This record gives sequence, C-alpha cells and structure tokens, in this order.
Amino acid sequence: MFDSNFRKQIVSNKRINATYLIILAIFVIFAIRLFYIQVIHYGSYKADAENYQLKQYEIPPVRGQINILNGETIVPLVLNQTLYTVYADPSYVKDASSASDKIASLIGKTSSDVNSLLTKKNTRYVVLAKKVSENVSKQILGLKIPGIGAIAQTYRIYPQGSLASQVLGFVNDDGQGEYGIEQALNSKLTGIPGKIKAVTDINGIPLAASTSNTQTSPINGSSINLSLDLGMQSQMEQIIASEYTKTKSQGISAIIMDPNTGQIKAMANYPTYDPGNYQNVSDLNLFQNASVTNAIEPGSSIKVLTTAAALNLGVVKPDTTYADPAKWIIDKTSITNIESDGGARQQSVSSILSLSLNTGAVWLLMQMGGGQITDRSITNWHDYLVGHYNFGKPTNIEQGYESDGLIPKENFSDPSIDLTYANTTFGQGLLVTDLQMASAVSSIVNGGKYYQPSLVNSFIGPDGKQVKTKPKIINKNVVSPTVSKQMLPLMENVVNTYYHEGYNFMNFSPDYIVGGKTGTAQIADIVKGGYKPNIFNGTYVGFVGGDKPQYVIAVFNIEPNVPGYAGALGGQPVFADLAHMLINEGHVQPKTK
Amino acid sequence: MTYSSSIAAKRNRYSAKNQNSVSFAVARPQTGPVSNTIILIVLACLLGLLYLTQVTKTNSYGYQINGLQSAQSKLQSQKEDLQVASARLQSLNRVQNSQVAKNMVAVTPSATVTQ
Repeated sequence: MFDSNFRKQIVSNKRINATYLIILAIFVIFAIRLFYIQVIHYGSYKADAENYQLKQYEIPPVRGQINILNGETIVPLVLNQTLYTVYADPSYVKDASSASDKIASLIGKTSSDVNSLLTKKNTRYVVLAKKVSENVSKQILGLKIPGIGAIAQTYRIYPQGSLASQVLGFVNDDGQGEYGIEQALNSKLTGIPGKIKAVTDINGIPLAASTSNTQTSPINGSSINLSLDLGMQSQMEQIIASEYTKTKSQGISAIIMDPNTGQIKAMANYPTYDPGNYQNVSDLNLFQNASVTNAIEPGSSIKVLTTAAALNLGVVKPDTTYADPAKWIIDKTSITNIESDGGARQQSVSSILSLSLNTGAVWLLMQMGGGQITDRSITNWHDYLVGHYNFGKPTNIEQGYESDGLIPKENFSDPSIDLTYANTTFGQGLLVTDLQMASAVSSIVNGGKYYQPSLVNSFIGPDGKQVKTKPKIINKNVVSPTVSKQMLPLMENVVNTYYHEGYNFMNFSPDYIVGGKTGTAQIADIVKGGYKPNIFNGTYVGFVGGDKPQYVIAVFNIEPNVPGYAGALGGQPVFADLAHMLINEGHVQPKTK
Repeated sequence: MTYSSSIAAKRNRYSAKNQNSVSFAVARPQTGPVSNTIILIVLACLLGLLYLTQVTKTNSYGYQINGLQSAQSKLQSQKEDLQVASARLQSLNRVQNSQVAKNMVAVTPSATVTQ
C-alpha cells in the first residue's frame, strides 16, 4: 500500500517537473527569439516599424499672388483658389445611369455626357468635372456613389479676365509657371515647401508624443505688385484690339514705358487669350508676349537712334544740312527713298527724320566714318547698337522666352558688310523687339540713361513686408544730356509734319510735348530669300510729356492691311490713340507756364 | 526547596512584581518574496498606467492640432473664396457691363487739360 502511494507520488513529481521544464523551455525559446529580434536584428525591425509608423509629408507653400496698380491702389490680378476635380473609377460604378442623373445637374453637364464617361471601359480614372466648388464637391460626395471621388487642387484665378494675360503667363497642372512673369519669377512666386515627418496613427494623423516628429514650416511665395497701371493697360488692350480689326493685321504689340524709371506702365499684344482657360488655346503663339519675344526689322523708326548716335559722336548737328543724292549705290545695290520725297536736293538732319530719308540715314553712317562707309563707321555704329542701345541681347525684363534680337556681326571680310550696315541705319537687316525699341528710345529722350526695363513695382514677402524695386541704370551715358535735349524737337517735328500732311489724329495740345517716328519695314521671306513683296510691318516709337517726356510708347503692327505706309497708317494711329488716352485721362503733367 | 530553586523563586517574584523592567521584542509582520513580487508588479503597472495616461493625453493634442489645422485650412479656403468673389465684383469687365456703366454716355473730349 505504502509502496504504491510512494510510486504514484514519484511519478506525479516527475510529470510536474517535466511540465516545468517544457514551460521553461518555451520561455527560453521566447527569450532567445526576443533576443534575436530585439537585440540582434534591432536596426532592421526598427526601420520597418518606422517605415510603417513614420509618415513624411510635403507642405506646399502658397504661391504668391500678382497685383496690378490702379493709381496707388493695389488690385488683384492673379489669385489662388482651392477647387475640386471630380473623378470616377468606372469599374466601381454599378448603376451608371442613376449616378449620371444625380451628378450631371451638379456639374453642369448632360446626363448622357456623364453616362458616357462612367461607362468607359479599359480605364480606372475619368475626370467628370474640373474647378468644382467645395459645396458642389461635398454634395457629390454626399451621394455616396461608389467609385466617385473628388480631389482638391489650387488654381490660379484671374478676376480681370484676359487682362495682361501674355504678361502674366499661367501655371500648369504641375504647379510650374509657364510664359510671362509666372515663368520668369517662378521660384520667387512658388516659395519653399515645408516638411512634416511624424509618427502617425492608422489614419495618418501625427501623434504629438513622438520625439521623432520633425516639422519645417513652408515659406510662402512672394506676391508681386506689377508696375502696370490698370487703367492704361485696359485702355491699351481696347485700343490695339480695335486697331487690329481696323487694319486687319496679323498682330499688334504695344508698350507704354516710364522713360525715367524703366518701369512698364502698359504692355499688351493682340490677339490674346484667357489664362483661366489656357488649356483650350490651340495656337501656342498666343502664349508668347510678342512685345518681348517677337524680334522684327523695325524699319525707319530706328532712324531716331541713328540720328542720336551721329549727334552724340559729334559728326553732325541738329541744323546740319547736306546734299542728298536721293540714291546711294552700295555693294552694287541701290538705296533710295520713297517716291514722294523727290529727287536729289539739299536736306537736313531734321528732314532725315521728318521725311524718313533712307539716304539720309546712310549719310549719317558715312559721317560716323569720316564721310564714307568705312570700318570705323561700322564699328562706331555697331558700338551704339550693341553698347549703347543694348540691342542683340535680352533686356532681362521679368518675362519668359525673351528674344535677344539680332545685330549683324562686324565681319569685315564679308563683301557686303557695307550694305548690311547701311541697311541697319534705316531699320533693315537687324532684329529688335518692341521692348528693346522702347528701352532704347527711352534712353534717348530721358537725358541719356538706359534703365533696366521692369514690370515689377514691388514684392510683398511672405512676412507681409513690401519691398519696392529701385530703378536700375544699365548705362548712364547712352547719349549726352545735350543730345537728348536736341532729339526732342527733332521728334516733335515728325509729329507736326504728319499733322500738317493731314493726319488729323496727330493733333496734340501745345501744353504737351509729343514726338515720334514711324517705321515701315520690309519683311524677310525666309523661304524664297529677299523680302516679301507688298507686305510690310508698321512700327512707331514716340514720347509724350509736359516739361519732359513722361511716357515712351512703342508699337509694332504686324502686316497691317492699310492703304498706305504701314508705319503711318498701321503704327502711328495706335501711338496717337495711346498718347491721347494718356493726356485725356490725366496721366501726363502738362508743361508748367 | 533547594538553593537553586529558592533563587529561581526569587527571580519569579521580582519578575511578577516589576513586569515593565524588561522589554521583549514584538514580532513584526514581514512580507515574504511573493508579496514583494506582487507589490512590485502592482507598482510597475501603476507606473505603466501613468505613462500610458500621459502619452494618450499628449497624443490627444495631436488630434486637437490636426482639428485646428483643418479648421485653419477651411478658413483659409473661405478667405480665398471671398477674395476671389470680391476681386470679381470689382473687376473692370463687371463694372463695364454694369447697368450704371450702360447708362453712361460716351463723350469725345472737346479739349485737353490745360493748367
């Protein structure tokens, strides 16, 4: 009996011990495994956990807005607005017909249009509507239709419609500025994105307790106050649109510039486009601000610059007269004037401008070389074109795709170099933009300073501080102040001459000074060579002011269909309308008496 | 009575007479290893609970921050909408197409401004 119990107790103890051993073994296995995971492979598992828990987001900065000035008042021209894109995954939409009926009225489409999108095959993403308001987006999502979603996106909004569209450019779907100021100052407008790195919950919401959380706030983009004046810009756009229709031209560019600061007060081209619907534009040329991207042969309007160069070199005086032969033969090619200028006779520096004498402009080139077209005259003239007037290089205005223009090289081994440079004196054989012309003429009439042309009046930083841009002088000695003063009556004489010839729209009050110069330019035929017959570009450069020039106006009218000279009937009327607008709306201070 | 027993009897007598003259150590209750372990576990649990309470409280700030950021974003969006609406209402196109502007009569200036 005792023996049996004793045996049973021994067996029971053995089982308990075995159980203990097994449990111990299991714990040992756990401990080893935990040691393996938590100590040996600590780094790998920590990284995996962080990958799962740590989320990194980029916080987009707010793009700066663009404003225009209405006198001293700042008027928004480009704003940001968060709108929604409503999309669908057709594979999830079960009852497309019912869904179409519910959604169509909310997004302003027909039920059949929506239905055709929702029943599209072989695609998982169709856009039902873009730029939908938050309210509409909420209403659509409230329908709880499987497969229908909405995503927020920031859009540029243009409350003034197409005003200054080519100066502005637009922002593409990737948030990058394209064309105009949006492209040129993209980095300044964009700002710097912020970053957030945080341990998050399952919904991606950052948990505040984590010491691994880091956050860098975004730096919003700067806003820009353009130098453009709302009234001038709006009037200019109406004027060039009207002249475009009247002259049936291929396009018009115009600029109003403050010659005493280099600031652009109005800059427009026609035809134009609506930047709010840039996706619908098929002609990509419409995106270009032709005032800075389109370089053409300016024709006789450049004679203002030729005359100023000759005066500044001291080779002629404003009252100098000379025997004009009415024809020069240069490199076996004849250079003549328009028929109405008559034959050979005594002419003056003043009549070179008022009668637009090509032979007179070539004569000025000859005087730059001592009486003949020589290497010296070409070098002198080239120096003025490139070194003084800054042609052949960009002005660095805040615009995308600015053209350099083209000035022929001083290649003295070229047998036709004399002819090439003779042509440049009356605006053929070189390419300049409307802006380059406006800037160069500004430097002629403002006392001789070439100002960096600019479209920016001030920047408003992300901290709200406004920083005004200061006028920047590129060359303070384009011509002497004396020559600058001499040029004003010479250019005024051109205006008066046209008025007395019957161009009544060139009538201006004697309380103001108004001067200018027309240009009728032949157009190179790129395909056949030479120049196109009977097609011309009309250009005009001029100024308007009181005691001194206050505005410079430059106009390019491309291939106007007018019954006369393109400069006189295509460019000049635009100048006249703009000059009258500036005077009549009180933008110009009259002469003090 | 032997001599030794008489001495013992005396001691007993003194002992009976002066009970407070000798103090005896009272056996205090002592915690054993099991109790200690349980107490430690309870303390550890309390500490853990305290930690969890604090972490949960701090993390709840994360949700508050997220909520405030959402509200800020919503207000920002409303501000944008109002700015756009305001700018549109003041736009030149709208002013030009307004009834007031339509009732205006175009006048060709008869003279330019003089001082």
